[in-house]
Amino acid sequence: MTLSEIANGKLAPRTGIKLDNISKRYGDHIVLDDVSLHVEPGTVTALIGPSGAGKSTFLRCINLLERPDSGTIQVAEHTIQPGKDVNARDLAALRRTVGMVFQSFNLFPHMSALKNISFPQQKVLGRSREEADERSMQLLERVGLKEKAGQHPGRCSGGQQQRIAIARALALDPGIMLFDEPTSALDPEVGLEVLAVMRELAADGMTMIVVTHEMQFARDVSDTLVVMADCKIIEQGDPRAVMSDPQEARTRRFLRAVLER
Amino acid sequence: MDALSAVLQGLPMTLGLTLSAFAIGIVGAVPLALGLSSSNLPVRLASRLFVDLVRGVPIIVWLFLLKFGIQIGTFKFNPVGAAIVGLGIVSVAYLAEILRGGLQSVPRGQGEASHALGLAPADTFYGVLAPQAFRIVSPSIATYLTGLLKDSSIASTIIVTEMVFQSQAFARQHPTVEGILPYIIVGVLYIVLSLPVAYLSRRLDSRMRKAIYA
Repeated sequence: MTLSEIANGKLAPRTGIKLDNISKRYGDHIVLDDVSLHVEPGTVTALIGPSGAGKSTFLRCINLLERPDSGTIQVAEHTIQPGKDVNARDLAALRRTVGMVFQSFNLFPHMSALKNISFPQQKVLGRSREEADERSMQLLERVGLKEKAGQHPGRCSGGQQQRIAIARALALDPGIMLFDEPTSALDPEVGLEVLAVMRELAADGMTMIVVTHEMQFARDVSDTLVVMADCKIIEQGDPRAVMSDPQEARTRRFLRAVLER
Repeated sequence: MDALSAVLQGLPMTLGLTLSAFAIGIVGAVPLALGLSSSNLPVRLASRLFVDLVRGVPIIVWLFLLKFGIQIGTFKFNPVGAAIVGLGIVSVAYLAEILRGGLQSVPRGQGEASHALGLAPADTFYGVLAPQAFRIVSPSIATYLTGLLKDSSIASTIIVTEMVFQSQAFARQHPTVEGILPYIIVGVLYIVLSLPVAYLSRRLDSRMRKAIYA
């Protein structure tokens, strides 16, 4: 069984997401200026760009960890207008459809790896403890950490913690996975373990949106490369095309900085 | 050892008073701590006002106010009732402040991860935030409990027959050097009673640390 087959229970249809005209400001400070992005089911979108461009904020707007001031989000037959009141059912549906992996892992430190993955399943999906634990063990095995099931996160390396965090998100059968700089807190060698899991997930056809500074990964794995700068998407397209022949001067400057170092 | 048996007569009252007030405090402090960290401004201000008001007035004043200042119809507090309610309210305020500090020191990412996973607010609070906050504040709570044990002696001023009251009664009846004896005994007793709390709290703390990092 592959990762996303386990994740989707072979049933969940692949999900896309449409974000239109997302804007966000803090007081007078604009963070996102009318950003739109359509993600096709089963594709991988890599979001790159200089820091402060709004990549992470945009990603966090997708599952409403940040509330955009205006715009629409369409996912799994739900249309959400975050500028207005969002009803609890739409919010729950959104969070259920969209899984997220953070830069700082955010595992629950007082729970074992197994409990970290099982607890949300029991609470959110109403699975019994046995069902949840069984699924958790499958996922832990897939990310190569079966022997860590009983350990608390404090006893796991950063790379192991991030793989547990990925398993925790997958256990809720998301249709889309968001990754917010998943390897930025890890040293390069350890980051490879995490990238390997993500490559496998992408190969299985999971819809993924990845904010990353890993250019190799963005080039090899993503279907669409999106470049953000100054609160906007300035360029997007096939990753090889964008990287070898960027149209915007700002993109060229950024790529030179990250590729020719 | 007349003095010892006199002081020991007050022991059940001291323990009962301390534990009742502590129980009221723990139960009441949870909603008040949530009020203190609420994003709703009126709720936060009201909670803050309550905490500052209660903490700003000495316990002895609260006890006198409750004992002698309150009469609703024919209802008046008896000494023990006034002491339990007074110490209880004070405990609510202090413990709420301790809990609020604990909740605020749980990293923000924990709440965000819970939201992203779609956990309900109650599951987030009881399953994720509260257990971590409790680990952070358990030593402070134990410190408060030992303080409360000693503060319960203030109830002697409104004629609650706890250990210090019994000591005073004995001293009055023995106006010789012997009169100092119950105070020595009661001092030792307070120390002896505090030790297990401190010990248990250290054990609990190190066990919880081990559970996380071992």
